[in-house]
Amino acid sequence: MRTVIVAGAASLCAAIASIAALSAQTTAPTNQKPKYEITVMPPGGPPPRLSDGHVDFSGHWFPNGAGQGVSGRYGVDPEAIRQFDPKATPEERPAFQQWALEKIKSMTPTELELSKSSVNCMPRGVPAIWLQNPYTTYIMHKPGVMAQMYEVLNNWRLIHLDGRPLPKDPEPFFHGNSAARWEGDTLVVDSIGFDERTYIQPNGWFHSEQLHVTERYTRPSMNYMIVQITVDDPKVLQKPWKSAPRRWTLGNGEIYEFYCTNNKELEELEKLRQQELKQK
Amino acid sequence: MAKWRVFAALLAAGWAVLLAAAPASAHHSFAAEWDSTKCRDFTGTLRKLDWQNPHPYFYVDVKDEKGKIENWSFQAYSPVTLRRNGTDRQVFLDNINKEVWIRGCLSKTGKANAAAAGTLKFADGVLRQVGQIQD
Repeated sequence: MRTVIVAGAASLCAAIASIAALSAQTTAPTNQKPKYEITVMPPGGPPPRLSDGHVDFSGHWFPNGAGQGVSGRYGVDPEAIRQFDPKATPEERPAFQQWALEKIKSMTPTELELSKSSVNCMPRGVPAIWLQNPYTTYIMHKPGVMAQMYEVLNNWRLIHLDGRPLPKDPEPFFHGNSAARWEGDTLVVDSIGFDERTYIQPNGWFHSEQLHVTERYTRPSMNYMIVQITVDDPKVLQKPWKSAPRRWTLGNGEIYEFYCTNNKELEELEKLRQQELKQK
Repeated sequence: MAKWRVFAALLAAGWAVLLAAAPASAHHSFAAEWDSTKCRDFTGTLRKLDWQNPHPYFYVDVKDEKGKIENWSFQAYSPVTLRRNGTDRQVFLDNINKEVWIRGCLSKTGKANAAAAGTLKFADGVLRQVGQIQD
């Protein structure tokens, strides 16, 4: 038996060595990037502007650098997949209050899974729609209002740009209650009053009724929109958390219908959760 | 025979490199529901497609070693993701009652004849990623 294992290991090593040798012969020098079919979009010139002079954010936006879908596809430049370069713009970890951290850690793996919008089919909400969303967003923007249409779950949201203040007694909404202002070419959106069932990220990061989200939108060029999120929630966090500036790129493809009507996973996950609870 | 084994090992290793380079979906955790230690190949006849969000399911008559035919369900990526990577609804419909090869992983609950598909090939032989690849 041992001989078989040793022979197998030797065969594997030989195979790896052969591949390495073959690779060395056939691939370009290491300082040359391989050719990819799907690459990072060029900037595309200056951003368009509305009749009131502000930057126009209208467009069909993809959560990557490619301006098209990248999941399940071959030949995609890894640079085009991510929303930000963690070396250039590292994203800090949230500093949780101790009780919040303990609550998150107490979740079983299946409870964590069941809490995800992608599993339970509840709206992702704000700010998760910008932080944990592999699907596209279609923005229609005119002076006075911006409509954001999220492909995932066919959700949508209006952001009024007429200077209206935040409500004093907001209803809890999945997308919160928003007030917007311009800081130069940056659109700043403050939101409060969130439904308690949303998560900031799909890692158990829940929020309290004190959640205050700030979204900062810029369109540095025609093909790029940058969204940066700040999460202030003193009950859950020791200090406000700032996301990296995350890029979305302009695409031409269709936005599809996504009503979540065929969710067969819940039943199976609930069985697993019951098994976990018995083991606790 | 030894040459064939080395060739097979090279092929398998090359395959692994190719699959590792393919991006995974950021949908949710595969490991929560599916067992990445229980993945296998399936060959059978595509019988039915249930094309809905968040996951389409397709059903395949799989013949076991004794010749017994069992109907298996396979979960795939979301329709949006499949459309964008070139495996749309019509591709499935065009292959109903035709042979299909699937690499997939079994359910953690032990649910009978249920798997999550990672890659598949229809009769045209094109390798298609239709779900998260685990091995």
